[in-house]
Amino acid sequence: MTKSLLARLPQWLPHWLPLPRHGGAAPIVPEKSVAGRTLLLLVTIMSFLSAVTLGGVVLVQKSAIAWSADVGRELTIQIRPVEGEVMESNLRTAVSLAQATPGVSGAHALTIEESQRLLEPWLGAGLDLSAIAIPRLVVVQLADPVDADIATLERNLGAINGASLDTHAAWRQQLNTMAGTVVLSGLLVLGLIGVATVLAIVFATRGAMASNREIVDVLHFIGASNKFIAGEFQGRFLSIGLQGGLLGAVLGTLFFTLIGAAAGSVLPSEATAQVGVLFGQFVLGLDGMIFVALIVPAMAVLTAVTSRVTVRRYLSEAS
Amino acid sequence: MIEFSDVGLRYGNGPEILTDLSFSIEPGSFHFLTGPSGSGKTSLLRLLLLSLKPSRGKVTMFGEDVGELTQDHLLQLRRHIGIVFQEFRLLDHLTTFENVALPLRVLGQPESEYRPNVTELLEWVGLGERMHALPTVLSGGEKQRAAIARAVIARPKVLLADEPTGNVDPELSSRLVHLFAELNRTLGMTIILATHELPLLDRFPYPRMVLNKGELSIHD
Repeated sequence: MTKSLLARLPQWLPHWLPLPRHGGAAPIVPEKSVAGRTLLLLVTIMSFLSAVTLGGVVLVQKSAIAWSADVGRELTIQIRPVEGEVMESNLRTAVSLAQATPGVSGAHALTIEESQRLLEPWLGAGLDLSAIAIPRLVVVQLADPVDADIATLERNLGAINGASLDTHAAWRQQLNTMAGTVVLSGLLVLGLIGVATVLAIVFATRGAMASNREIVDVLHFIGASNKFIAGEFQGRFLSIGLQGGLLGAVLGTLFFTLIGAAAGSVLPSEATAQVGVLFGQFVLGLDGMIFVALIVPAMAVLTAVTSRVTVRRYLSEAS
Repeated sequence: MIEFSDVGLRYGNGPEILTDLSFSIEPGSFHFLTGPSGSGKTSLLRLLLLSLKPSRGKVTMFGEDVGELTQDHLLQLRRHIGIVFQEFRLLDHLTTFENVALPLRVLGQPESEYRPNVTELLEWVGLGERMHALPTVLSGGEKQRAAIARAVIARPKVLLADEPTGNVDPELSSRLVHLFAELNRTLGMTIILATHELPLLDRFPYPRMVLNKGELSIHD
């Protein structure tokens, strides 16, 4: 059953994949004649760098989506102190107006103490703000940012002297721009890693072809097509690509696991919390793991296809 | 089967290596190709092997004008031609069996299919006991017999041999030519054997193609 399945494999596989051949017959291109170890190390390093870059991109992308979703679910009403206005009364009115707005799930005014804590990073701790007239804030939570009638709320707040509404649109815009830049840079780095890998494989393949010139000549004399010869070399490179891709992806996953553990144990808890806000918890998650795992076949295919194209070109030049 | 008509060959812009070659080779014939070193024997064999195209003139093989053929078609024709080299050109990392089986692997035959044929041929050329040995441990005569077996395993219509006796002693040379003669007689293979060992030629009754300074004459 297995044998007949294997025998039928060639019909199903794409023509550029090396096919299972001739049972236990020795490979026509000797394994040692391809600079296997050096190339394996190089493919492993490139795969590791790809895994780290791709993982980083996934982390930033996921965090940016989470930031944007969090910030997008919150509005802030700011009420500046105005001569002749009673701040506490204005705060109550603002909270009522917000709660009456469709799509709003809750609203509450920050107390003096809460406002004080917000200003601590700039003004220092222990400052008594009760004697100073400072703007006060009302935090508004949205049940659904799409359905919330923010325009009506903004119009109604016009009735309160000194009130303004901040939707955090500018922050979100900046966040999205920053995340987009990081993702784009990551993809650019991935592209450059791919180009560097291709160039290294091209050089390794040409070296292997030159050192196996005798084998290539003999194969030509006995009637082997360029396609057959390319397939023999491609088999070696596909194997190296698979091994290197797998090693690199495993090392990349280990890297994120170790960094995540280190961030939790080495950094102080506040720093850990801030890093957590920035990158989530350094946890790749299922989607991140899938992306990293995709590096294995991607690297194998890149290695095999590059070597095949290089061999075909080399043989065309030679003939 | 093979017909050359006013064929000339030059490499790049250099002088003509082969000049005005016109001859035909009938199926099942045996020819010696001889001449001094540098007379163009190897170049003529490369033309016959279809690894070179003539600079001028017309080469017809198996009824096809070689100059008109695509690379793929040339490859198909080349599979009807076997070649034996003076320096054997066996692949040192493959056993004698695997070297001989190579043309059949290239044709995509599974090992289960070609194993009996390869084993039988190796026994026929006297290498039955050495089929699992690597070429590095074979003697010169054994290597050449393995190379001959590799050249004929796919039953080519034409067998070319470029100085196949150049690396063996005179007695073994004679035995190797007898082997070629046997292949010609039993399998009907057309054989062109290049050699510059004149004493060897005198022992066999085959016509001689003599190359001298790129010009060919045929002596029956």
